[in-house]
Amino acid sequence: MNIKNSILVRVRIAFLMVFLFSLAVVGKIFHLQLVQGDKWRHMAQEKTINFQKVKATRGNIISDNGNLLATSLPFYRLALDPSVADNKLYKQGLDSLAYLLSVHFKDRSPEEYKRRINNARQEKRKYLMLNSRMINYQTKKQMETWPILRAGRYKGGVIFERTDRRFNPFAALGTRTIGYVNQQSKGVVGLEASFNKQLAGKDGQALFQRMAGGGWKPLNDGSEVPPEQGWDIQTTIDINLQDVAQDALYRAVTDHQANYGCVVVMEVATGEIKAMANLGKLKNGGYAETYNFVVGQQGRTDPGSTFKLPSMIALLEETQIEPTDSIDTGNGTFRYNGAVMNDSKPGGYGKITVQQAFEHSSNVAFVMMMRDHFRGKAQRYIEYLDAFGLTRPLGFQMLGEAVPYIKRPEDKTWSGITLPWMAVGYESKMSPLHILAFYNAIANNGKMIQPIIVKEARITDNAEEQYQARVINEKVCSDRTLRIVRKMLEGVVERGTAKSIRNNDYKIAGKTGTSQKLKDGRYTREYYTSFAGYFPADKPKYSCIVVIDGPQGYRQYGAEVAAPVFKEIADKVYARDLEMHKLLTAETAPESTAFPLVKAGHFEDLRYLCNQMGISNHGRELEEWVVANVSDNSISWKNKLARKDEVPDVTGMTLKDALYILENQGLKVNYRGRGRVVSQSQQAGTHILPGSSIEVVLN
Amino acid sequence: MYDDRDSVSRTIDWLTVLLFAICVIAGWLNIFAAVYDPEAKQNIFSMSLNSGRQLLWIGCAVFIILVILLLDYKFYEFFAYIIYGVVLIALIGVLALARDVNGAKSWFEIGSIRIQPSEFAKFATALALAKYMGRVGVRFDQLRTQITCAILLGVPALLILIQNDTGSTMVFSAFILVLYREGLTPWVLILGAFAIFVFVLALIVPQLYLVLGIAAVGLIVIGLTPKKTFKNIALVLAGCLLIAGVAIGVDKIVNDVMLPHQRARIMVLFDPMVDLHGVGWQVIQSKIAIGSGGLAGKGFLEGTQTKLNYVPEQSTDFIFCTIGEEHGWIGSLIIISLFIGLFCRIIYLAERQKDRFARIYGYSVASIIFIHFFVNIGMAIGLLPVIGIPLPFFSYGGSSLWSFTILLFIFLKLDAHRNQMTARY
Repeated sequence: MNIKNSILVRVRIAFLMVFLFSLAVVGKIFHLQLVQGDKWRHMAQEKTINFQKVKATRGNIISDNGNLLATSLPFYRLALDPSVADNKLYKQGLDSLAYLLSVHFKDRSPEEYKRRINNARQEKRKYLMLNSRMINYQTKKQMETWPILRAGRYKGGVIFERTDRRFNPFAALGTRTIGYVNQQSKGVVGLEASFNKQLAGKDGQALFQRMAGGGWKPLNDGSEVPPEQGWDIQTTIDINLQDVAQDALYRAVTDHQANYGCVVVMEVATGEIKAMANLGKLKNGGYAETYNFVVGQQGRTDPGSTFKLPSMIALLEETQIEPTDSIDTGNGTFRYNGAVMNDSKPGGYGKITVQQAFEHSSNVAFVMMMRDHFRGKAQRYIEYLDAFGLTRPLGFQMLGEAVPYIKRPEDKTWSGITLPWMAVGYESKMSPLHILAFYNAIANNGKMIQPIIVKEARITDNAEEQYQARVINEKVCSDRTLRIVRKMLEGVVERGTAKSIRNNDYKIAGKTGTSQKLKDGRYTREYYTSFAGYFPADKPKYSCIVVIDGPQGYRQYGAEVAAPVFKEIADKVYARDLEMHKLLTAETAPESTAFPLVKAGHFEDLRYLCNQMGISNHGRELEEWVVANVSDNSISWKNKLARKDEVPDVTGMTLKDALYILENQGLKVNYRGRGRVVSQSQQAGTHILPGSSIEVVLN
Repeated sequence: MYDDRDSVSRTIDWLTVLLFAICVIAGWLNIFAAVYDPEAKQNIFSMSLNSGRQLLWIGCAVFIILVILLLDYKFYEFFAYIIYGVVLIALIGVLALARDVNGAKSWFEIGSIRIQPSEFAKFATALALAKYMGRVGVRFDQLRTQITCAILLGVPALLILIQNDTGSTMVFSAFILVLYREGLTPWVLILGAFAIFVFVLALIVPQLYLVLGIAAVGLIVIGLTPKKTFKNIALVLAGCLLIAGVAIGVDKIVNDVMLPHQRARIMVLFDPMVDLHGVGWQVIQSKIAIGSGGLAGKGFLEGTQTKLNYVPEQSTDFIFCTIGEEHGWIGSLIIISLFIGLFCRIIYLAERQKDRFARIYGYSVASIIFIHFFVNIGMAIGLLPVIGIPLPFFSYGGSSLWSFTILLFIFLKLDAHRNQMTARY
């Protein structure tokens, strides 16, 4: 083949390829448009007329006393069916409507609005999206007064298309506990997620037609299924307590530059969670509710010394140990199976009682007791933990509850030191909520109940579902043990590690916890600090746990970091809660308290007072100063002063009155004490020596 | 010598100019149709619409045409390498300076104007390739020539690939057609077609069956081979092994090398339900728009699918949807005929060039426009994967309109002076 032929062939091939490819394209289009045309046309139609979901209104999340924690606020888009209004209404209203729209939305001129509406009306269109911006309910109300729009849907043609947005009235309060929803209004975390099913309601559906400009117009043809409103979730959260807890926690985590902190406050008798705050450190150094450390897997960690409480109970139940028994903890360092356990006090506690060992949180003492009483009986100890409900999840109402990690003797990870180390709070993992549930059981006379955060789901006032706190264990230990450990918990605050939070008004019982954090299999110098307890100790009303993870700076222990937060919360709760206050013992005699103390004074004043208080009083020819004679709940007045040049009798008067009278008589007055005058140095009725001094004693 | 201006108006190929003008005007009307909102009573000239701005780009294009026609025809050959060099620098510059737009770094932003250098790389590369190949004494059967060509084409293609603009990179495969015309062995085309065939097979047939099938075909071929010499059998076996290797390799590439969105674009061809919210959705919307057009279409400005924003990029990459929806099969056929007419005319013009430079450049023009046409429409109708390249003269956008205008009119200028060029081959 010569060159010329070769090129000719190549050119022909080039033409052929263009032709073939083009043929393929034409063929495919033919197939699409003519062979499958009906199918695609049908799909196009489906795309423009369509059954669409009508969103159900999501239920509210409500605090214990009815405050809204999360609610759905309606927002609207303004559309108009321009063919509805009659000519008169339309002509009269159009100009001012266009003007108002332009002023409100600030995106088009009044002329432009007018032209759009006019055009749509001329074309006999049934739907015109006036502006696709969202407006709130107040604006909608306002717009309902505008010309044409105020004539309503059937005379004016106004269409407000509603969409809901989620809103938390208390903004950052308990954000993670309450949770939030995604774009599709589905709860993602927190209560929004855990109770999504109840809150969501059931979407309905209706036939919609797609309109130019991207909106959908409902077609009312009777085929619509109305949406079912979501249920409201009644929580146990007390918004004030939540505020107190979150505020105290916030200051603590900021002060200590901690990794995170969390607080739960629980009502002892009911297991109702009154506050649940979580603050995690953000990248910028601030703190926010980023994760629910109280409940979730990330908050699960070595509980530290707060775990000595279950260990102590197990010891007391298993053996005959008395709180007064003594243990020699030596110099605070104890070798056990090749590992070393230290007490936090340099030099150790020496010889101490069991009570003191608990109060001062002596690791050595606990390791020794465990060695003495549970050696070779590890299974017994685990059985106690099982009975305490510490080995299984609580079955809490919120999703993502951490599963407790408790080793068992048959586990591969079980080593020679596991048992004593577990007893002081290492080698296990518990969530703060779980520890609190156990402390709550001690406060609740041994009855361990599941914490509860949602009481019921309801529509307006009809409860649809009610939730009861499940009893995990009727009695976690004997009454004797209970008595002893409650004394110990009180002792921790009275004399022990947490004595810094002791106060005279009410008693706190609790236990500090400080554990070294495990990182890459090694214990570091970073700490996990906590304080779990309840108050008032003698009649527990609330239990609470405070966790501060990884505090920076010189204060690193639970007593210094977590306990003060507990105290702050407890103080504020106590100040607020009258039920907890002890009655003040009466200081005066019952009669006196029943009848006001009236002895002597200025007549007009006293009469006014008595009349105001409804006490019958009488007297005749009275002068300025009187003395009261009390008999049978009534008063008769007598004149107090005799003559001008005699020393007046001021007994029974207040200092103010006595000073006035005596100084008017030219006497110099010295006084002692407070209250009412009981004696005077110059006798009443004696002659006055002007300028002389008189001493009155008050009591 | 006679006056240049006179000669151009007499010698320019008015048929091509007419086809060009029809394309541009039809494109402009369709851009208006694509963005038209019946509610707003928009004006086609409104600068707030794509159509208004496109008219401005068209005005600029006319100016560019005048400049191209007024310049001396020798200018293009003389400055071919320099233009090529400038574009290469721009391509490198855009990598360093550009902001990420949809994952691609291919736009220069000067104020509100955005310029895409990769659009201009097409004609610059065509010029450079034509100049090199047009040199006396360059023969394509020499290895040196082949390597130089590969470098000339490969460098801009690679730079554009780094910009993450796969579509524009693929356009460079158009030059394979040009090289074929100039003597590239047809085996490249055959192997390429075969590779695509195996690639598609590997995607739709399970790997095990494919390997078994290849083995079966191999055995049959061996059975049918008249001379069962060791060499023949070994050849067949080696061939089978190679094909099987490619088939297995395809699987690996699709699953491990390709990014998820690229994989989705290919899988969607076989099953549009694969990625209903991403590419699959685009393809289905595009098919609905075109398919619902039927024989005669819904009429100008009467389409619903494109206007309601179902179709993505409806005035740029998916402009063909508007044509298909509003003008139906007949309209599509007319547009396609218009393009085929344009290709044939350009190839015809190229073949009548005495000068190698002009001919090679002409072929490049035809190939580049053809690839755009085929890939763009193929994508819109679900024949090819979704690759974002514009439909020449139709799609909205200054850069693309100007680059195709420059591409075409340089060739028309060269053609107008074909009698002045001395034949070098």
